[in-house]
Amino acid sequence: MDFRLSDEQELLVENVRDLMARENWEAYFAECDRTHTYPERWVKDLCDLGFDLIMLPEEHGGLDLGLVTLTAVYEELGRWGAPTYVLYQLPCFDTILREGTPHQVETVLSYVGTGKQIWNSACTEPGAGSDVGSLQTTYTRRDGKVYLNGHKTFITSSAHVPYLVVMARNADDPEVFTEWFLDMSLPGVRIEPLDKLGLRMDSCSDVYLEDVELTEDDMFGTEGNGFRRGVKDFDFERFLVGLSDYAVALSAFEDAARYANARVQFGKPIGRFQLNQLKFCEMAIKLDAMKNMLYEAAWHYDNDGMTSAQAAMCKYYCVNAAFAVVDDAMQVMGGISVAGDHRIQRIWRDLRVDRISGGTDEMMILTVAKGVLRAYAN
Amino acid sequence: MRIVACVKAAPEDSDIAVKPDRTLDLSRAQWKVGSYDLNAVEAARQVADQVGGEVIGLSVGSEGWSGSKLRKDVLSRGLDSLVVVPGDPDADSFQTASALAAAVGELGGCDLVLLGAGSSDRYAQQVGNQLGALLGRPTLNQVDAITVDGDHVRVERLLEDGVQVVDVPLPAVLSLTSGINTPRIAGMKDILAAGKKPVSEVAAAMPGASARVASLLAPEQVDRGRVVVEGDPAETAQQLAQFLTTL
Repeated sequence: MDFRLSDEQELLVENVRDLMARENWEAYFAECDRTHTYPERWVKDLCDLGFDLIMLPEEHGGLDLGLVTLTAVYEELGRWGAPTYVLYQLPCFDTILREGTPHQVETVLSYVGTGKQIWNSACTEPGAGSDVGSLQTTYTRRDGKVYLNGHKTFITSSAHVPYLVVMARNADDPEVFTEWFLDMSLPGVRIEPLDKLGLRMDSCSDVYLEDVELTEDDMFGTEGNGFRRGVKDFDFERFLVGLSDYAVALSAFEDAARYANARVQFGKPIGRFQLNQLKFCEMAIKLDAMKNMLYEAAWHYDNDGMTSAQAAMCKYYCVNAAFAVVDDAMQVMGGISVAGDHRIQRIWRDLRVDRISGGTDEMMILTVAKGVLRAYAN
Repeated sequence: MRIVACVKAAPEDSDIAVKPDRTLDLSRAQWKVGSYDLNAVEAARQVADQVGGEVIGLSVGSEGWSGSKLRKDVLSRGLDSLVVVPGDPDADSFQTASALAAAVGELGGCDLVLLGAGSSDRYAQQVGNQLGALLGRPTLNQVDAITVDGDHVRVERLLEDGVQVVDVPLPAVLSLTSGINTPRIAGMKDILAAGKKPVSEVAAAMPGASARVASLLAPEQVDRGRVVVEGDPAETAQQLAQFLTTL
């Protein structure tokens, strides 16, 4: 197996490193985290380097460099403690290009290079979490128009994105689920922001829809295709969550390793105590396993397709392994990891949320088990 | 307008280890583009973008450029092409300036030669001035701003108590400060385009060495003084001044 990156991939990673080294981004991230602010200035700088062109096909002005390239970039950003979780929409233009109308595609692509938040999809409702099929939001056809009614909750990015793709069921035929490309500035759309434990640089809100008037042109994809659309994109999102989690665990590991070499207790660096050495051994193994799993899945994505089980495996394993790494790193760093304002606190909070958002651990387990067992079904 | 930006492939300083006898161990040092040279590349690109023209990177010493990655790196930062003059990168300033001057002649001349404040390994800060003299062109160093206007360039130089503004007829040779600009970080498109830009070699004769390195050693490690001055500003200033006189 050839794990080497190309000249171009290495240069991109080095340039990302230069960007991260040019200023104390951590101060900016800490402020954004405290105030629930999207770190747009940082995202814009990344887009200036072409970050949002990595996965965009060439016919749309992108560079189509593949998921291995994106993985290498995330890895470097995470090493600096950067909140890669806010970037999820920039490698995901595929969904819009595949499902969107020409007008929807044009609308979304007009944001390329700006660093601004663009869109997200909205499924979850108070009565429909992992059981998405229980959702109650409806669309109703009346007088040549379409009216959306319902209540979405825990909707990531929804406070600031200009567009949401909303999953709803047909009021006249409740077994038909269809998505709608919703302009958030329309009358009848109301946002109630929620506070959140982690992932605070992206918003999380309740979204209330009261007789929001749409037209047939606002349909996203085809009627009745709501759930089938979602599966492939969920896989990609799950991979990205696993990747973000691995990457940011690197920063906690490196902080802890530097600290363990420098901090002296009982006359020697604390890294020389065997209880801490066990932690570094476990941390290094987990990081290595995450890295290999992610790069392999990315390679499959670029070459012969990533399966749902692979994507779910990446998310389930990496979020838990990353959480364990960060938790060990905190233990090594002792007081300074829990008092004061060390970035490891933010990372620890973020990872705890990722075991729930973007598909719970429990749903990942079901997907992995299903995929694995299917290979042996007669 | 034809602009030559002089660059040097130098060892990455953070990879250089100091051996117990204070000699330097470069065996694990990767090659990088001299950090001050990036100011020259950036300034050249900006001028070319403003008034039109091409930017040629010119470097003495082919060893560091043998890897394709470093060539793509420097080309991605705003050069249109790279010309390498084979020769010893550890040549002295006069040898280097002579090789560069001959190469500029081989290239058919240019309108402006830009250099950084110094090479990032030796930092002798001599090559620019010597090159200007060898080419017989107006030559300035410590240049902190440049504006090309027709057949001359307006140059600002930072002096201790002010800014000197000089109109220099072209062609000219200018050595820039490291503060003249912030070199760009190349985007992915620039990186991909870099692999398609031309790299060529130009042979240039080098005179014999005119300087000899007597010794090259890292400074001796000295324990920290651990002197702390405390008190109100007047007292601390007094103590600090007193301490400095004892050095």
